[in-house]
Amino acid sequence: MTELLRILRLARNDFSYFFRTKWLMAILLSLHLSDMLVVALVYKNLMRFDYFQFFVPAVVIMGLFVAALDTGRRIWLAFREGVIQYYLSLPISVHGIVTAYLLAGGLAAIVYSTSLLLIALVVLPAQAVWNTLILLPFLFILAMGLAGISAALAALASTHGEYFFAYQQIVQILLLTLSTVFYPMEYVQNYLPQFLVGVVSANPLSLAADAMRQYAFAGNAIQPLLLFNILVTSIPFTLIGATAYLTALHAIQTKGKL
Amino acid sequence: MLNVIRLVWFDLKQELRPPVWIVMEWFTFTIQLFIYGALISQLVNAPEVGNYQQFYAVGFIVMMTFEVGSHTGRHFVEHAHEGLLPYFLSLPISRARLFLAITLQGGAELTLMIGVPLAITLAMIGNLTVISIAAAVATLFCLGFGVAGLMLGLSFIAFKSSDMYTAIVTGLSTIMVRFSTVLYPLIFLPPNYRTVAIMSPLTYGSDLVRLFLGFDPSILLNPTYAVAVLVALAVSTLGLGMLLLQRLVEGVKSG
Repeated sequence: MTELLRILRLARNDFSYFFRTKWLMAILLSLHLSDMLVVALVYKNLMRFDYFQFFVPAVVIMGLFVAALDTGRRIWLAFREGVIQYYLSLPISVHGIVTAYLLAGGLAAIVYSTSLLLIALVVLPAQAVWNTLILLPFLFILAMGLAGISAALAALASTHGEYFFAYQQIVQILLLTLSTVFYPMEYVQNYLPQFLVGVVSANPLSLAADAMRQYAFAGNAIQPLLLFNILVTSIPFTLIGATAYLTALHAIQTKGKL
Repeated sequence: MLNVIRLVWFDLKQELRPPVWIVMEWFTFTIQLFIYGALISQLVNAPEVGNYQQFYAVGFIVMMTFEVGSHTGRHFVEHAHEGLLPYFLSLPISRARLFLAITLQGGAELTLMIGVPLAITLAMIGNLTVISIAAAVATLFCLGFGVAGLMLGLSFIAFKSSDMYTAIVTGLSTIMVRFSTVLYPLIFLPPNYRTVAIMSPLTYGSDLVRLFLGFDPSILLNPTYAVAVLVALAVSTLGLGMLLLQRLVEGVKSG
């Protein structure tokens, strides 16, 4: 069996674990469907503009983000339960294990967010559905970047569950609130200090939410620069996550523990 | 009573060493209020609501109360799962006192979690009397105990399958928050959603707290109904939880 095949097998195992976790599916689906079909709809009656049209595409990106972040929980569980020792005993390199986890995280996030996208397309007519297909590979890279962040957090927290979930919550809150997922950029510019406006505009979630709104739902022509920016802001996270996870695996290999 | 306090401390000290979750709750509240709440309030164009940031702050406190209440219920199930419950049941302490310890532990946790966020919210709203603050706090505790009792009542599912219990409880929690007046006044909900929202205890809790904190009563539910629903919820679900505990025998554990 080639290394690639082993990586794909391990990735498939982790990918299926994500969808088999019933409580997680219940949380994610109830959260995102209620955001889309309740919160967005009610806020539409309260807001100055059509918030439903603004927020529904962003919920798809939120789904991608949260599903990708779950990769960290699975890595942390593997550390805590000792599954990682089993993985290290398999005829697969540590680089292969890291690649498999990031691939599975990215793929699970893209499959989950695609299911949300299909629901979004039912409730909010899209002007250019084909643009979505062009966006998907970029969203996959973004999901791998987000999975990388969570992998880095899992490696940092080691087996201390409370710290891992606290780090994850901090990252989740900061990345979501400091983005244009919930509010348009002009309001952010009017309220936040300049350096935070810079953070919001460089946030990959802002870029992905804007791309989803403009290209898939509003039907504007795709601007390669925005897609390039998604790559530029996502790839470093993937590399940082991969390096952190790799370092943790090497530590386990040499010392037997983290 | 000393045994009850000892049991409360036995559980609470795990939350305090280190107090990661308490600090996290305060951090989340601060970010949510001063970034999300502030920005969303600029988008809101509804004179009936007044200052949406204040409206959202109260809603967030109610959500935190709900979370702590449901955590108390879930904690009971975790104890069963980890084998602590059989140990508690084997202690020379009556079931009623054990139940009192669980309830007091939930109350102490609620005080720690919402203390700082509530102080910030009260300072932000300003111009409040001691009575209105005391009434708002009493409402939050009543809601917290009611939710904790509800989750304890649902814990019988966990004795069949803890995975199923977590799925039901977490799914139900999200829906109860969204279909309620925690984030928006009832008048802005579409009519079919309004029917569901009226069944959520959070609707009554958040509207009653807002009434005590001086929000416009015309966008809130009738306070008499709200008081009746919250008291009925707390009494009935806590009664159910107590009954459940009385019937539990040593050796029970969730699957």
